Amino acid sequence: MQRRKLLIGVASVASSALLLAACGTGPNPSAAPTPTEDPSGTITFWSSLAGMDKVAAAFNASQAKIKVNFETVPNGDNGGYAKLSTAITAGNGPDVATIEYPQLPQFVSNGQVQPLDGLIDKSATVDKLANEIRGMVQFGGKTYGLPYDAAPMVMYYRKDMLAKAGVGIPKTWQEFEEAGRKLKSVAPNAYLASFNPNQVAATAGLAWQAGAKWFGTSGDSWQIGVNDDATRKVADYWQKLIDNKIVKVQQAFSDEWSLDLANGTVVGVLGANWSATGIQKRTEASGQKGQWIAAEVPNWGTPASAFYGGSSFDVTKSSKNPAAAAKFIEFLATSPEAIKARGNTGSAFLAFPGLTPVAQDAYDASYFGNDIYAVFNKAYSTVSPGWQWGPNWDITNTALKDAYGKLGTGGTVQEAVDTAQTATVAGLKQTGLSVK
Amino acid sequence: MASQAFINGPRRRRSAASGTGGRTAALFLVPFFVVFAVAMVAPVVYSIVLSFYAQQKSGLGFGEAKTAFVGLENFVQVFQSESFVGGIARLALYCLIYIPCMVGGAVVFALLLDATVARARKLFQLLVFLPHAVPGVIAALIWAYLYTPGISPLVQVLQGGGLQINFLDAHLVLPAIVNIGVWEWTGYNVIILFTALQAVPREILEAARVDGAGEVRMALSIKFPLILPALSVIMVFTIIGTLQLFTEPSIIAKATSSVTSTWVPNLWAYDAAFIRHNLNQAAAASIIIAGLAALLSLVVTRFSSRMNKA
Repeated sequence: MQRRKLLIGVASVASSALLLAACGTGPNPSAAPTPTEDPSGTITFWSSLAGMDKVAAAFNASQAKIKVNFETVPNGDNGGYAKLSTAITAGNGPDVATIEYPQLPQFVSNGQVQPLDGLIDKSATVDKLANEIRGMVQFGGKTYGLPYDAAPMVMYYRKDMLAKAGVGIPKTWQEFEEAGRKLKSVAPNAYLASFNPNQVAATAGLAWQAGAKWFGTSGDSWQIGVNDDATRKVADYWQKLIDNKIVKVQQAFSDEWSLDLANGTVVGVLGANWSATGIQKRTEASGQKGQWIAAEVPNWGTPASAFYGGSSFDVTKSSKNPAAAAKFIEFLATSPEAIKARGNTGSAFLAFPGLTPVAQDAYDASYFGNDIYAVFNKAYSTVSPGWQWGPNWDITNTALKDAYGKLGTGGTVQEAVDTAQTATVAGLKQTGLSVK
Repeated sequence: MASQAFINGPRRRRSAASGTGGRTAALFLVPFFVVFAVAMVAPVVYSIVLSFYAQQKSGLGFGEAKTAFVGLENFVQVFQSESFVGGIARLALYCLIYIPCMVGGAVVFALLLDATVARARKLFQLLVFLPHAVPGVIAALIWAYLYTPGISPLVQVLQGGGLQINFLDAHLVLPAIVNIGVWEWTGYNVIILFTALQAVPREILEAARVDGAGEVRMALSIKFPLILPALSVIMVFTIIGTLQLFTEPSIIAKATSSVTSTWVPNLWAYDAAFIRHNLNQAAAASIIIAGLAALLSLVVTRFSSRMNKA
């Protein structure tokens, strides 16, 4: 009996030690990092972006003081943020992480990334950025990351199919709908584009472009407008397109989506600069070279666009060497050498002025039937100002994605945004945030 | 249960003969308890602790979050969540279709195997077990491919026969996922039941045969009642396994929007922990799921032990 008690005792000591260890590794409020004049040491860098290993290698070769170890992580859709967040909380996250703009406020709000103020040369970096993109990384007067790409939302079309339908490139959403109808009359099984329930950021982009503001602050409170008037207008419009079979409801990047692009069932893609590579990969074998063109997203009267995707580089709370990490981030986000080193890894469109031409030189855009970079530039110049992402994008993301699941059984886009609004407000309140 | 028998049973007998039995037993048990404590007890205790706390932020939430004791608040929130309760209802429906299909199928296959000639038996045993050798993720990926309209040869053949079926639409996706489970697990359980059937005393069967019982009669009146204990073990494992349904829906979710990111309770907990970053709520949800599993297995064991006695 005594020995059994002893055993239990040992077990409980072991488990409580584990508990203590688990409690001790939470994100501690570390002392304000002192900017080192000449940082050195070894840091780790996580990214899911292709070609970043080459960029890290180029940085290592360019100087001798800081050594960067690069690790590939899955992208956000495949659990990348789960991994990052867990690792930071456990105290073994990377020094430098890659976080997309919608998710960044959440990491800031959870205290998982460090402010860069005092670590970076602001006048040479953030201050040179356009307002819209700078707003993606600054919160509460502090800078929490450096923007890498600024992904303007654009449309891609098969120009041969538009010609077959006898329409030009749709300039407004009304023209887009008409083009869809005309396409149906010449090719009854074809869709002008697809509506992707798993791409909530695309819905956000469409709402953004229409003038919606899903997240805003008033004093010390959040204002949530996931179903505001502009968004309702967008929801009504897309529901009409779905009802009239002008767009096909399907998961983006699924096998079905890929096949529909390859065999011409879907002849348009709502995407961003980064979509070009994916479209080429999926349609090249079907002899569609030269048929795909990029175009500005149709608008509601005046040219407008939004950002759809795009990442920032950030120093995590678990970094023991934030000075070196910040130095590396400056290189990643602002140096032409970094862009050159990455090589041809897609049609990148970068936030820092002067970098996009470098990326353009590396990318072979000959697959497309028009100058896609000219379109990106135009779209970038029309991004509607004033958009802000909320403190927990994934509450909204999950809620809207789930509500879209009902689209097949009589649910509507309007109902989905209403559900997402309710869920967002409730979810934020649950975490103690003030919501008006 | 096995370890308890080990502690209580042999030691009592041996203690009179020598005093070292307990020490030896303890020595052998240490590795088990260490691993058990680190890998099982500690995480469970930790999540129970977690489930009573919450990260409370204030205002815009850009300051430090405070950890506050909130009692049962997290549990209330989980139960108030429409998607969590919906997930449990969906899981119940899943069980209602899955368990009869899978367990029934396993019983029939096992009885058939037992009745066949010895040589073919080995081959069929292998064939029936083969799907289980495919890892769950791979199986789900393959089935997702077989279900996707436009790509799937299966859908195409059905279409050729005049049957327009979309396995991934909101009405059919649940049976479609049940099908993956049945495909994966029937063979595994056939082997368990078949092993139990091997233990059925041959003399009883011979006696029955002499009395003029056919194969069907023997299967129903002799073999089936004798493998009921094995069947109840299978039921417990199946129910626990079903409550943990995760892999298949999370893979299928990539192919269709009919499967949401909170489709079943385990997905809900995953979403809470790693997507919405609410570890406390996820801990509460996990404890609810574990409690449900414990409750259901208790009911099944009680029920089957009563049946076995009767």
